Amino acid sequence: MSVNILPSIVLGHNQFFGVDHLSSQRGAERAAYFSDIANVMQLLHVAKQHGAGGVMLSTHPRAIAICEQIRRDRDLQRDFSVFPLLPYAQKYVTRANEIGLVRAATSTFTEASLRDRVGLGGDFLKMVFRRDPLDLVRSLIRLELRIFRELSVPVVFLHDAISDLLLSISAPKVFELYDTTLRRRFGSRMGIATKNLPLLVDRFTQWGLELPIILTHVNAAGFHVNPNIAACEALLHRSDLEVMAMGTLASGFLAPAEAFAYTARFPAVKSVVIGASSEEHIVTSFLSVLEARR
Amino acid sequence: MEQLRGAVIGFGKLGLLHASLINGLQGSRLVAVVESSPLIKRVLQQQFPHVKVYSDVSELLNEGGVDLAVVATPTGSHCEIGRQLIVAGVPLLIEKPLSLNAAQATPLIAALSQRWLPNMVGYMGRYLDTFRYAKSLMMNQVLGPVRMIRSSMYIEQLLKPGEGWRYDPAISGGGVLITQNSHVLDKLRWLFGEIRVVSGHTSRVVSELVEDHAHAYFEFVSGAVGYLDASWSARHYRTPTISIHAQGDNGTLDVTDDEVRLYLDTNVASFNSGWTRWRTPELYKPVEIDVGGPQYTRQMLDFIDAVRRGSPVESDITSGLRTQELVDGVYQSAQQAGSPVLIPV
Repeated sequence: MSVNILPSIVLGHNQFFGVDHLSSQRGAERAAYFSDIANVMQLLHVAKQHGAGGVMLSTHPRAIAICEQIRRDRDLQRDFSVFPLLPYAQKYVTRANEIGLVRAATSTFTEASLRDRVGLGGDFLKMVFRRDPLDLVRSLIRLELRIFRELSVPVVFLHDAISDLLLSISAPKVFELYDTTLRRRFGSRMGIATKNLPLLVDRFTQWGLELPIILTHVNAAGFHVNPNIAACEALLHRSDLEVMAMGTLASGFLAPAEAFAYTARFPAVKSVVIGASSEEHIVTSFLSVLEARR
Repeated sequence: MEQLRGAVIGFGKLGLLHASLINGLQGSRLVAVVESSPLIKRVLQQQFPHVKVYSDVSELLNEGGVDLAVVATPTGSHCEIGRQLIVAGVPLLIEKPLSLNAAQATPLIAALSQRWLPNMVGYMGRYLDTFRYAKSLMMNQVLGPVRMIRSSMYIEQLLKPGEGWRYDPAISGGGVLITQNSHVLDKLRWLFGEIRVVSGHTSRVVSELVEDHAHAYFEFVSGAVGYLDASWSARHYRTPTISIHAQGDNGTLDVTDDEVRLYLDTNVASFNSGWTRWRTPELYKPVEIDVGGPQYTRQMLDFIDAVRRGSPVESDITSGLRTQELVDGVYQSAQQAGSPVLIPV
């Protein structure tokens, strides 16, 4: 087992990109507020002050500017990691609606700058000439991750919109490729987001693959906890699992004190990711995490 | 229990989702895919050697060995593929919308009347927690007689001309109305009963051949009136955002993907007067496997169950045809400067 590379608190990113699973309207309002990058950076500093060891960032188009600002901010970078969540799934879904699945994937290359394509070097040539679909996946991962260069990126999470499809259809080679690409190219560990924790553990065990760092919903309301709370809780009692808990507040449905008292019960939960849009939110939530751990 | 052997025809975004579900659920497994794209075929052959990959539906049907099939090809080919499956005796789930227009579905309906099989049209919105709950409220008749219904669907999908089959009406049947808003029309029928008159208006803003905005007025058989406002070129809507509001003699109902809000003048059954709000976390019911949303799992489980029992489902081809007739009615009215069009009920 590797050393724990997960900070106990990671700031979530949904507020930056207008994702709000309880209210699309509220999501859109927050996206408007955080379209000013200064508001994003201020929130990151406040989160760090109050104990966050990093921020989750999907490869949303607006993440490019956020990464750029973090790179310039030496103070913030110290003991503060970025946890990419890739890809920004909605981008591909909307794009696939527009031009179809295959072209949504390949357009990432045609739209990438020449520099980025050249940066892929041999991988890009292999992709073009060997026409092996796995080469395409490898190059996509590298292109998606290019915005995080020079940042501390200990774990890269694969979005559950992709990973749950791959788990269910049973595609071990893609996960193996993902793992090797991350280790070799970025020195990062494989993270997998899922709404199906037992399925993930079953599949990886059956495939004989090392369990990844798992990003999954942990809340007493059972929101996005499949196939049921009992099956997930049984796994969360295993201390060999490395879980970053998301959806802990069940989209604002649960109070922080109650929510983090629940996550603190499980040895597998090494870290929690918490979305917050103001200092007040951060203080209330982060304090609840710390109190629950006492 | 023996696993049902499933085939997926058309391996785009939804084909992948259905294939993944069929493979992951305990009651079924994926045995075949029909797909014409060489790249996708290569991926399938490389990653899933146990799955047979065909270029054409007739190859699949000649070989046989499937208990159910999902049709997830572009809309224009749904009916002919569906007809072939019915003739071959394979129960089928056809992705929505059913067809380019109601007339195109005639041979499919004829085949089904010759040989009935379990069949479904993929209006998965009926399986969303909030809309399912709204349906249970309507079944309890909490609003009393419904008088007015307002509905909308917005998404920021298209701010410049799109590419691909969705923007070619010969393959897709039309624009934002038939693609995303056939879901809304299906929900309106399901929640409030059939519609007998429509009046429509459509407009193109960024697309050349299909409508980007659609507006429609409805008269329901019940006497209620209502309207729909829809656009896929609406800024600030990250995902498809559907909203339905109904006014009845005893109160109001608001439903979105996020929540259900009910206001009642007087208590009905276990529902109290005043405001009540249910949000997704409290309505959420877990599923065996979630890939792309629990609504898809519930839909597939319903379909698998229907195939096992040889029984019908609510959202079947006949129901899909009713929704298609509404779509046709709105388009027809729009071409006639909004003149009312009677829907066959």
